[in-house]
Amino acid sequence: MSIEVLLFIIFNGLLYGMFLFMLSSGLTLIFGMMGILNFAHASFFMIGAYLGYQISLYSNFWIAIFFAPIIVGYMGAMVEKYGLRNIHKYGHIAELLFTFGLFYIIEELVQMIWGKTPVSYKVPELLNFPLIQISGMDYPAYSIFRLVLSILIFLAIYRVLSKTKTGLIIKASLTNPEIVAALGHNVPRVFSNVFGFGCGLAGLAGVMAGNVIGTEPSMALLLGPIVFVVVVTGGLGSIKGALVASLIIGMMQTAAVSLELNLNNAFQYLGFNVDVNSILNHFTSITISQLSPIVPYLLLIIILIARPRGLFGKRDV
Amino acid sequence: MQKFKILLITLFGFIYLTACEKKESTGPIKIAAIEPLSGPYAAVGKDIIDTVTYSASVINKNGGINGRMIEIVPMDNAMKAEKTTELLRKAIDDGIRFITQGGGSSHALNIIKQLEKYNSRNPGKEVLFLNNSAVTTSFTNEDCTFFHFRFDSNVDMKVAGLVSHMSKDNSVKKVYLFNQNYVYGQTFRKTATRMLEKNAPRIKIVGDELIQPFGKVQDFNPYITKIKLSGADTVLTGNWGPDAYRFVNALKDSGLKVKLFGIYISQPAGMAAMGKNLLFNDVVVVKEFNPTNSNAPSWYKEFEKGHIEATGWTPDADRMRFMFEMFKSAIEKSNSFEPKDIAYALEGMEGKSIDGGKVVMRADDHQIHFDMQALLLSEKQEQSILYRNQDFDMSYVNVGNIPMEDITLDTSCEMKRP
Repeated sequence: MSIEVLLFIIFNGLLYGMFLFMLSSGLTLIFGMMGILNFAHASFFMIGAYLGYQISLYSNFWIAIFFAPIIVGYMGAMVEKYGLRNIHKYGHIAELLFTFGLFYIIEELVQMIWGKTPVSYKVPELLNFPLIQISGMDYPAYSIFRLVLSILIFLAIYRVLSKTKTGLIIKASLTNPEIVAALGHNVPRVFSNVFGFGCGLAGLAGVMAGNVIGTEPSMALLLGPIVFVVVVTGGLGSIKGALVASLIIGMMQTAAVSLELNLNNAFQYLGFNVDVNSILNHFTSITISQLSPIVPYLLLIIILIARPRGLFGKRDV
Repeated sequence: MQKFKILLITLFGFIYLTACEKKESTGPIKIAAIEPLSGPYAAVGKDIIDTVTYSASVINKNGGINGRMIEIVPMDNAMKAEKTTELLRKAIDDGIRFITQGGGSSHALNIIKQLEKYNSRNPGKEVLFLNNSAVTTSFTNEDCTFFHFRFDSNVDMKVAGLVSHMSKDNSVKKVYLFNQNYVYGQTFRKTATRMLEKNAPRIKIVGDELIQPFGKVQDFNPYITKIKLSGADTVLTGNWGPDAYRFVNALKDSGLKVKLFGIYISQPAGMAAMGKNLLFNDVVVVKEFNPTNSNAPSWYKEFEKGHIEATGWTPDADRMRFMFEMFKSAIEKSNSFEPKDIAYALEGMEGKSIDGGKVVMRADDHQIHFDMQALLLSEKQEQSILYRNQDFDMSYVNVGNIPMEDITLDTSCEMKRP
């Protein structure tokens, strides 16, 4: 493998990994810390993308990236306050079913409002130029902007959670709600805010990614599972874990795409060939590259078996 | 009293049902259109239903067929195999004798297999399948059946057209195959490899990629890096939907200049997501006609105008139009509404294409044959592409004609006729 390929793997992996982090950082707070199985997390991501499109249609992208996450966050807080809070006492299954239903409702609503085809949500003109070049491949300024913004968001969340009093209250409300309430804090409000903030992060990711991967009603469905992989692999409630897991998945998947190896190569190395027309060849000719989309799920299974609490988690799933 | 009521209702029900039965021979000709109208593929299904419905309405406006009107019954399979099965059964139970479908070869195969069984067990009640867009080649080869007619060119023909055009383009030297890993993409890839080796030996295949299909790949950068490192000057792809438009957008962002040859890259449903990014690289697709040909004959211009008024978009396929015209001719020729008679009449039938040529339904395998055109996406010429009331300011330019002979291939079909 040449240095060039390695460079591409690292850089492409970094870009994709930070996209995954943006997508799942909100869920780390919601699922990881609050323990709510929010199946509709990617739906908030989708709403973010559509609101980003709609607002930038009437004004511009910069207003959209500021207001859309706030609106999505507020919607999330309302969902927690009027929906999840009431069914919290029935346990995880009820919450899961609730958000499962929410997922379909949001998908249908989005289809009703914006139609079934992708909308033309464009990258802002200001950032639509190639900024850096790595051996002949351009990387647009917008990709770098997304990268920088997601790193900043990681630093901000990390700092708030670990260094400030707000972070202390949040963490305490989740582990010892009665004591925090006795100290005079409004625990249900903390829950609403954390949930809303998590959804807002998903909304922000949507605003930033919708114009790259395409804004369409099925985007939530397609991104739904991967966010859980990131959160569980990283460890419940650990924002640092989510970052590391995102980057590992990003790099692994990018690296896998570059590998044109299959079992036939291994057999040839060992000295015998598989008949091209045999049924066995169907399996042995599958390259690692073709399997790249399942790499994250493979990682999830390995992590769940070997270390159920994830890379940086403090408790088991 | 209660029992009497039930009896009465049942009785009326029976009378009503039998009345309906009688109406069948004089009422509308019902055609069930089974397509995804919800879920991730809703846009593609809606587009097909739009054009199918409009094309049928044009037949109706001109007096219908032997005095009967066509009624399209849209059915939503949500792109799920078990729903297709269920809807087909429902259509048959409702007395519908004609099915049309196009979105997804897996569903088409499902319908073919089920009808094969049903038609052999229910002589005199046969159901005819008018396949408008499902292109997997085997349907007119080893899986061919008498009650299936395909009005779209199959993958092999499309690829043959693309390769025939590529072989004439001297700038194409190294080609990278980029396809979706499911029955259609695999067929595309296999055919492309075979035909490039046979018909264009000077073109080298420098890469062969099968990606996880249906929008599961979010990040195309690693693939583009691979294409770049392979030194390819051309990408040959059968991709459609998100797998096509994300790829086009990522290519534009990476600044990599390659030629793109494909079938569905410029599918209208994905246009909004790409916009002018489509013009960054040369995109060449093969079609049965040029949707933005301003010199089309006046009768077609009228059809087009009506389509735009009814749906808000320029027809992207011409096959639904001649499908219904040939269906009509077949009924008139056989003077019968029985699927079996219509099927016999359709064999070898000719229809007219827009540019004055003809389309022919080959009797051996029930595969349509027509001249194709290689079309390049360009800035707006005289007429631009409209989709859902949005003007994309782009046009297709004819860069080569592919005569029917170039894409007429042998078939392995051994048709059993009833």
